[in-house]
Amino acid sequence: MSVIQTLGEQIADKAKRSSSRPIPLPVMAGILWIALIVLVAVLADWIAPYHYTALDLPNRLSGPFQPQHWLGTDELGRDVLSRLIYSVRISVVVALGATLISAVLGTTLGFMAAHFRGAVEHFILVLVDFQAAMPFLILSLSVLAFFGSSLPLFIALMGFYGWERYARVARGLAISASAQGYAGAVRQLGATPRRIYLRHILPNVFSTLIVLMTLTFPEIILMESSLSFLGLGVQPPMTSLGNMVGYGRDYMKIAPWIMFAPAALIVMTTLSVSLLGDWLRDRLDKGLQ
Amino acid sequence: MLRYLLIRVLRAFITISLVVTFAFIVLRMSGDPAVSIMGDDASAAAMEAFRREWGLDQSIWMQYFLYIAAICHGDFGQSMRGGGSALELVLSRVPATVMLTLPALLLKVAIGIPAGIYAALHRDRTIDQGVMVAAVAGYTIPSFVLGLVLVQIFAIWVPMLPTGGTGSLPHLILPVVTLGVGGAAILARFVRSAMLEVLGQPYIRTASAKGIPWAVVVRGHALPNAAIPTVTIIGFMVGNLIAGSVVTESVFSWPGVGNLLVVSVAARDLAVVQCILLFVAVTMVLSNLVVDFLYGVLDPRLSSGNSTAGN
Amino acid sequence: MTPAILELQGISRSYATRQGLLGRKLRFRAVDEVSLSLEAGQTLALVGESGSGKSTTGRVALGLEPADHGAVRFRGTDLSQIDTASWRKLRIEMQMIFQDPLSALDRRLTILEQVREPLDIHDIGPAKEREAVASAMLASVGLHASNATKRPGQLSGGQRQRAVLARALVVQPALLVCDEPVSALDVSIQAQVVNLLTDLQASMKLSLLFISHDLKVVRQISQRVAVMYLGRIVEVGDTQAVLSNPAHPYSRALVSAVPVPGRPVGERLILDGEPPNPVARPSGCAFHPRCPFTRPDCRRFTPELTPLGDGRTVACHVVTPGKVRS
Repeated sequence: MSVIQTLGEQIADKAKRSSSRPIPLPVMAGILWIALIVLVAVLADWIAPYHYTALDLPNRLSGPFQPQHWLGTDELGRDVLSRLIYSVRISVVVALGATLISAVLGTTLGFMAAHFRGAVEHFILVLVDFQAAMPFLILSLSVLAFFGSSLPLFIALMGFYGWERYARVARGLAISASAQGYAGAVRQLGATPRRIYLRHILPNVFSTLIVLMTLTFPEIILMESSLSFLGLGVQPPMTSLGNMVGYGRDYMKIAPWIMFAPAALIVMTTLSVSLLGDWLRDRLDKGLQ
Repeated sequence: MLRYLLIRVLRAFITISLVVTFAFIVLRMSGDPAVSIMGDDASAAAMEAFRREWGLDQSIWMQYFLYIAAICHGDFGQSMRGGGSALELVLSRVPATVMLTLPALLLKVAIGIPAGIYAALHRDRTIDQGVMVAAVAGYTIPSFVLGLVLVQIFAIWVPMLPTGGTGSLPHLILPVVTLGVGGAAILARFVRSAMLEVLGQPYIRTASAKGIPWAVVVRGHALPNAAIPTVTIIGFMVGNLIAGSVVTESVFSWPGVGNLLVVSVAARDLAVVQCILLFVAVTMVLSNLVVDFLYGVLDPRLSSGNSTAGN
Repeated sequence: MTPAILELQGISRSYATRQGLLGRKLRFRAVDEVSLSLEAGQTLALVGESGSGKSTTGRVALGLEPADHGAVRFRGTDLSQIDTASWRKLRIEMQMIFQDPLSALDRRLTILEQVREPLDIHDIGPAKEREAVASAMLASVGLHASNATKRPGQLSGGQRQRAVLARALVVQPALLVCDEPVSALDVSIQAQVVNLLTDLQASMKLSLLFISHDLKVVRQISQRVAVMYLGRIVEVGDTQAVLSNPAHPYSRALVSAVPVPGRPVGERLILDGEPPNPVARPSGCAFHPRCPFTRPDCRRFTPELTPLGDGRTVACHVVTPGKVRS
């Protein structure tokens, strides 16, 4: 119950505080980078010089810093910069979709566990423990082995990453809300469960969920990159950042730029989101003290 | 204490059962298990034998029990690619993985813990910030990127070390470093926050106010108390060894269990995949149990055998 | 005779607690065979220590928790099952206010929004007018209009409790259950809120079930009082009668602990032993281990509520000997 109180305090005071406390430089840089990435993902069709499958065989494996191909070309003459831009879009879309699926799935299950208690709650908690105990990489590799790597399936699979974290948080906050607090009071007023959860509990849980999402998002990008790197994630002709690194690896000796450009992008992006998430969590923690 | 352990064993058992059930369900859902495990071009007779052995013509519950029985016998099916028992194949790769992950674990501990302690003791000073930035970089950089960068630098531009494969000590260096860096970073951060939390406790201030030299306070009070959660996370890392090595083994073509998993997934060699899945589950669960046991021994609040304090 | 607006008959409610994961399940009776009736427009106070079951009784009376045995009747009809549509509709008639107003309010929403909410939930009146109705309610609980746009965190304890009161009363209920509503407030504010309650009761024809452990407040606000101990009612009667001349040993101990201005401090009745554990109920009369007048019968037989002749009923072997339940 005190968590909700202080969370609420934090939210209520945010308007007062946010203007007075400056954002540290690295976090600011991270935010700008993320904004850039989002922009690139959205505007891919307009800013990419070529389509990501456009071939330019005479110029294959040519180095970066040329006017025609700023980041060089790969083994099929495809423009690395364009492929990078489209990869950003695909990786971001996959990670965003997966994060949303995971958040909705986890929060819903968490609320259900808190609302129904009893056997339903036990079952969901068992699932939570299971998901938390097993390494996601191994589980997803197993599923991919059995079902193959089509994109919708892959996004759905990624959507299971981290749901247990949302479930635990949602359940905990919902339980403390219903027991003594405002949710119990509103139920007593005669509100339907739907109203209680949607109008009261969810908005109060929201800020924690957002923080969780910013923390999980880079992890999903990493997971997708790793799987694509191994050749088991996003499949050609679609291109993703991990994908590019994986296929670019074969040409490491003669054309390292094919591999480095996407690798650098992955690092910058996950670093930025991590910094942002850490900072958000720090601020939330300070509010809880 | 005994009840505490009993509960943990029960949970471990439940986790393993869930993994087995998960494997069973996924196997059934993906099509005809006979085809999945034995491959398309297995002989009809072999398929029939398989079907009978796994009870595929019987009720789903019967199949479930037969599946469990088969697994308990170590029978996961034959590897489609190489023939031979899946379990044997997996076990043959374990030494290679151990040869990689154990030094990596030592590296994580040797770097991570001192770094974390040092950062905590010099909080908010340059050293601390430096360690924290390095740590963030360490665990944010995906292992395949780090591995490839290291290969690029130390094997291609400056051809000191081999690019992959196994066979000699130089072959070991890059993979171990790649594997160790991420874990060291995580450990450093964790140890730092554990230390900070302990250092913020009133009893530390009391000890220091009593006139005890700071070094003794740290060594005698702070470190042992921070050690308890640290042991947990190291235990977690041990359990996660195989999962963590999957990508690194692929980058360096290291013939371990992780590499085998990737190759088997790509080839849809499901017998091996489910074998590795369970193998990982068992190692995780066992290492968690060991950690729980150590926790019970180390944490006096648990080992004093208080039955009046409810769990 | 006006029919009682609220009737509890033989209510029992027990809880099961579990010791740890593999421990035994223990049942204990929070409320044991409680019967009460509340007349329309009156206030019945429910008094006891923590663990006496008074809060649980209040919740069962409202229908927030199901009774294991017994019946609860509101205006003569049994309460509907919990969390059904008809149960929710009944909330318009019966409301509750709590000890901690801060936790009963949503930190994020303004006071006006929250006072308005019951009108939205039950679709009372045209939507356009609901804000005005809510504002009017705020005024009648003595909250200045400037507080309407504030959030709970920005108000004082007394103001919050008024806001909770406004929210509960905006639907014009007939019954209000107050669970220790002033215990968390400063003494000076307590008086204000209690006065407010009595005023509102008169103007809105409210019936109050007032749960408290504070006899001073009870004296001020209620016409009848019921004393509870370990889930059972030990004495019921007109407030004046019970508090000036308590019959049950427990009531006597409670009353003697509260000094009355103007009267010399009488002999204090100090109880032996510790407050009881509801799980380990003493046999017979639950009060016997601490009772200074205990007799052999007290350990063996549970006393029944028997009338004393002046409108009070008491459950005690010493006061009304011979009436036992086998």
